[in-house]
Amino acid sequence: MTFKKRSLIVASLTLTLSLLAACAAPAVPAAPAAPAAPAATEAPTAPAAQGGESVVTTWYYYDQNNTDPQANERVGNFYIAKTIPLFNEAHAGRFKWENVPRDYNLVLDLVTAVQSGGDVPDVMQFDITHLPTYLLNNTIQDVEWAREQPWFSDLDPQAVEACTVDGKLMCIPISESPWLVYYYTDFYKDGFPKTPEELLRVGGELSKDGNYALTYWGSTAFDGEAAGRYFYQVISSFGGRYDDGQGNLKLNTPENIKAIEFMREVVKNGLSSESVFAGNFEEEEAFKQGKAGAFPTGFFIAVRYLNPLKSPAGKDYANIEEAVNDNAVALAPFVATEGNKPGCSLDLFGFVVPRTAKNVEGAKAYINWIMDPQNTVDWIVSAGGGFPTSASLRADPAFRTELYKQAQAVGEASACRPWFGSLRRIPEAKKIITNTIYDLIKARPDADIAAELTKAEEEYNRGN
Amino acid sequence: MAQATVLTAMSSSAYRPQKRLRPWLISGALLLVCALMLFPVFSTVLLSFKQQSDVRRTPPVFLPCDDEAGNFNLAACRFVLEGYGRVILLQPNPSAPLGFQITGRIFTTYLPNTILYAFASATFVTLIAAMSAYVYSRYRFRLRRLIMVGLLTLAGVPILTMLLAMAQMGNAIRRAFPGYEERLYMIVVYIGFELPIAIWIIKGFFDTIPRELEEAAKIDGCSPVGALWRVVMPLALPGLLSIFLLTFVGVWNEFIANYLLMSRQDLRGAMYGVYDFIAQSLSSYNALAAACVLVMIPVVVIFLFTRNAFFHAMLEGAVKG
Amino acid sequence: MSVASPQRARPGRGRLHFNRTLPFWLLLPGLLIIAAIQLYPALFTVYLSFQRIEPGTGRYIFRGLENFQRLFSTRQFIESIGHTAIFLVGYCVLAMTFAVLIAMLLRQRVKVTAFAITVIFVPWVLSDVIVGVVWRLFVVPQYGLFSPFFANPSLFPPRGISVLTTPPPPTLIPGIYFPPAPALIFLIFASAWKVLPFITLLILAALQTVPNEVLESAAMDGATAGQSFRFITLPLILPVLTVALFNLILGGINGVGMVFSLTGGGPGTATEVLSYLLYSIGFARLDFGLAAALSVVMTVINLTLVLLTLRLSQPQEER
Repeated sequence: MTFKKRSLIVASLTLTLSLLAACAAPAVPAAPAAPAAPAATEAPTAPAAQGGESVVTTWYYYDQNNTDPQANERVGNFYIAKTIPLFNEAHAGRFKWENVPRDYNLVLDLVTAVQSGGDVPDVMQFDITHLPTYLLNNTIQDVEWAREQPWFSDLDPQAVEACTVDGKLMCIPISESPWLVYYYTDFYKDGFPKTPEELLRVGGELSKDGNYALTYWGSTAFDGEAAGRYFYQVISSFGGRYDDGQGNLKLNTPENIKAIEFMREVVKNGLSSESVFAGNFEEEEAFKQGKAGAFPTGFFIAVRYLNPLKSPAGKDYANIEEAVNDNAVALAPFVATEGNKPGCSLDLFGFVVPRTAKNVEGAKAYINWIMDPQNTVDWIVSAGGGFPTSASLRADPAFRTELYKQAQAVGEASACRPWFGSLRRIPEAKKIITNTIYDLIKARPDADIAAELTKAEEEYNRGN
Repeated sequence: MAQATVLTAMSSSAYRPQKRLRPWLISGALLLVCALMLFPVFSTVLLSFKQQSDVRRTPPVFLPCDDEAGNFNLAACRFVLEGYGRVILLQPNPSAPLGFQITGRIFTTYLPNTILYAFASATFVTLIAAMSAYVYSRYRFRLRRLIMVGLLTLAGVPILTMLLAMAQMGNAIRRAFPGYEERLYMIVVYIGFELPIAIWIIKGFFDTIPRELEEAAKIDGCSPVGALWRVVMPLALPGLLSIFLLTFVGVWNEFIANYLLMSRQDLRGAMYGVYDFIAQSLSSYNALAAACVLVMIPVVVIFLFTRNAFFHAMLEGAVKG
Repeated sequence: MSVASPQRARPGRGRLHFNRTLPFWLLLPGLLIIAAIQLYPALFTVYLSFQRIEPGTGRYIFRGLENFQRLFSTRQFIESIGHTAIFLVGYCVLAMTFAVLIAMLLRQRVKVTAFAITVIFVPWVLSDVIVGVVWRLFVVPQYGLFSPFFANPSLFPPRGISVLTTPPPPTLIPGIYFPPAPALIFLIFASAWKVLPFITLLILAALQTVPNEVLESAAMDGATAGQSFRFITLPLILPVLTVALFNLILGGINGVGMVFSLTGGGPGTATEVLSYLLYSIGFARLDFGLAAALSVVMTVINLTLVLLTLRLSQPQEER
């Protein structure tokens, strides 16, 4: 029976394979994201002091060990890899920075980890969108101590206000990034349109021969991210919003209906391609290849991820900055209706400290170190994104390039705020909002907008 | 027995063509089916060897073999290892044996984890299931039938609906014993879920071993444990191996429990690695395809070498539950 | 045979006792693990389904049947039941039909049979997640290998479709989610492709038990191929077909990995089946009570199916 012999061969192969794996394994703990062993030693109380050094753990969706020069998060990956030795050198004998790479699900992971007593970071990267989820689940601790720090007074008061809950500072806002429109000057020769009607008209002319006037995130992927992206950009440009200020979902307003009608027109008239609904950032490809004329997106998203580019004229650019300097791409606010400023979603980046963080002193040291001006600039450019919230840093040459100048002008011309307003159950809200709007603009373009919006409101508000 | 006949079908000795259909027609049809079934695999392998500029082309090309004039030309074929390079991520490292070190996370973290989970679960499932199955096959006792049917029922209940409770359970354990090795929990969960069906399948194998052999061994002075070890186990070895392999492949391919129960990313397995890789290489479908190929190669190779064992175990198991 | 071990020569009392309780000790580890990993979580899920978990503190508050009420009143739940039903019907019909056809071919025993069985079986050893990725790459808008085919307006009037993004056509009857979105149909094909080998093998094994002599004599008596299939083969393999069907249904209800990597539930909610909904409520929205209620509902469906299968295949398994 050859079967037996074969099985034996395979069994021994498997054994060899696993032995090999076991041999390869020691290479892993060498990485900062050390599994098993360190966890066991540092578990009981504070981080194990190794010669007086305590470990500061961070969570980023950047992986310092990923050396792939084309990885999606390469900028952040390389930043962390470069910065860890710098921090450790500056804090030799006191703190040692270990970064645990996470995937994009890190917010809910943190909530679960805090609730379940799992491993939590001492400090974690943060976006204002996460705040309601953290507050609702009691995930983070206040960072009142930051008010005493020398760098604090320099921060933008509005950003600080956004981080303040019941008089307590819950997060540290370091940078902010408005939502705006990137457009190819080859497509929009007279600049990006100012009104929805104009966009529909000009865009209609541009959308032919495999070209599209617009590309944007319209998919329901990632549990409804679109709610805070393109959908909000349009809604707010029509003067609309998602909530009633009291924590209730309030979608059925004349402004929102007009905005959704506009989004319907965009889809119906073929101003955007199918790929905007495909998810997995497939929509970016059309802009990167110069086939879509404009891309309403976050300022920093384009800086970080839209590269390399090929302009409609066929010229290659390594990144968006190059294209802007060459005047191939320009920035503009989104269109707006009469009497409204162009709306935009505001991203605010910084740090939070989890409630069950083990090394709060380490977290303070880490944040203080990042707030050293030169480090802040590095962090904003490579990890955070957008503009510094601290006034003096805005004068830094890094933020005085053509790209940043245009973005700043656009930001000032728009009315920017975080998209969720007073809503608290963010994962649920964004899923409901996204599914509803997607359904109305793409799946059932004949459905009664007001009725569907009311249904969505009821579904969310039942849980209040 | 059903599986015996499938296996004979695979040896050419049982060749018995029917008169009405011509063999070449059947062969042709079978080869067509093979081609269709393999096409997705084949095209993924092909994709993994394409270069980025061929991946992002409209209209897409199946074989990247057109020259600049747009004509098909075998000499112009462009196959590169770009995708694999991005999964493996070789980095120079003077202290490594070959001067290079693999730094791709799939290799440094996820595959070792998967091998551990698959190997440990398969070993324990085979062992524990063999012990239990022996009893169910050889002894008659109260509640036997009830337990057996209960096991069969459980075998049908999938892991998914239990995940919520098991995640809570995992959290409770973590709170109670901070610093315990979480991977143990994962392995125990896999064992628990693969066990019922494994017991049934192995019982089937034991049932085919004549009881007289053990009786003879006992008369010769063997203890029941001795008889189990020395007589039954060797005879059941092929069956046990097939359970081992079935569990191994099952755990290797498992995604959702691993993803949701292991809170730390560095404890997750290769399927999560692939899932995570989607986010890391958004527009590079060649790298994504390469990751898929690298992760599926081991199980495909194991399967190709031991397919009879799989057929054995699956038929035994499927007919049961 | 190597026999008389030293202890056997003088069996002590303890030893004898051990031997009599041996079955118990052999069973114990298996039963313990199953109780801990299968029974306890099942009961815990039922318990959870009556609780509401306070977000901030993680405290459990007893709320009776509130979770079930919430579940049955959400549109998503009703919708995903519809999607699951459509998925199951398509998946079972597709897999069964092709499995029977391929098994009939394999039964003919020509030279390539052994090779074909092996090759056809490869998809079965691939993971759901990988199969999802592989099939997704076929239909990525513009760049996927099949996307020009689907985008062809003359094949798919009026404007061609894009599998991952084209929404479902208007429903024929309100409340019934039919016809389904292209993505759901595509998901059905991908899932059926993966499960096909397994079902084929099952049916092939059953076909082998149909005696050739009977078929041959039927053919001599002038029965057509169709007739002998209908009146001889089918009745004989019917029990196995039933088993295969239930295997399919169980796997179909609970498979989630492919939805994850193929469609992510989209476009919109067009491929949100029960299993994906469970993930999305329990783990993306952290609404444990509601998810537990859904788990209980799904477990009840599963158990019913398993017990039905057991009844139908009774003659084959317990001796």
